[in-house]
Amino acid sequence: MAATTHQEQRLDLHRLGLWMFIFSESFLFLALLSTRYYLQGVQRPAEVNQPLGLAISMVLLLSSLSAYRGETCAAYGDQRGFRRNILFTMGLGLLFLVGVAVEWYEGFHFFPPSAGYGTVFFTLTGFHAFHVLTGLLVLAAVLVRGRKVQYGPGNYWGVEGAVKYWHFVDVAWVFIYPTLYLVS
Amino acid sequence: MGRRSLGAKMRLGYGVFGVLMAIELVEYAVGTRVRSGNWPYLAVLAVIGAWPILAYFMHIRQLRKGEE
Repeated sequence: MAATTHQEQRLDLHRLGLWMFIFSESFLFLALLSTRYYLQGVQRPAEVNQPLGLAISMVLLLSSLSAYRGETCAAYGDQRGFRRNILFTMGLGLLFLVGVAVEWYEGFHFFPPSAGYGTVFFTLTGFHAFHVLTGLLVLAAVLVRGRKVQYGPGNYWGVEGAVKYWHFVDVAWVFIYPTLYLVS
Repeated sequence: MGRRSLGAKMRLGYGVFGVLMAIELVEYAVGTRVRSGNWPYLAVLAVIGAWPILAYFMHIRQLRKGEE
């Protein structure tokens, strides 16, 4: 009983620590988002590829669903479901990065980083893409660890933490997407 | 991870995903059809879109109540 309480307290502390980290990270994104409005107002170049923005947003939302499924499978001890869903999430994360690369390729032609909107666009998408990349690394780490450790009820904090971070990256994009692609 | 069955958790995930996709499409429609002064609508839609992720995928209520 005492051991369970100690374990629960540790889990609560892990969660609190991660939420504090996420909270502090969100301020960085807020600062960059406010820069867009401070420097450019609500003006946006006509060449911004809105359909591609929508497509990569949907890819990221789908990756959040598969990450949730992976975490749920881990919580219920379904190792196969966990591995399959986390791998699918990582595939979607890579697809999202490919979409951002295409956006960058187009962006260099129409609104280079030296231009006002380009500065904001490349900084925000670059900063976010870096977070997606680190999210992929963390997901890869829990996937590798899953080969040695059997995740199950009361023993899946690693998966929970990695997936929470992945969802945070998604939440950040929920605000970045309209700010860069839709506001006018 | 709570007391619900695995199937119920998965159904909840699909429901949240459906809501998120719907919000995304409305957002796109507002962004492409309302050519000027669309930012207040988009700001509200972004907040509405972020909440289900925070509440159901990230389980933010765990901070206050412990296990959901």
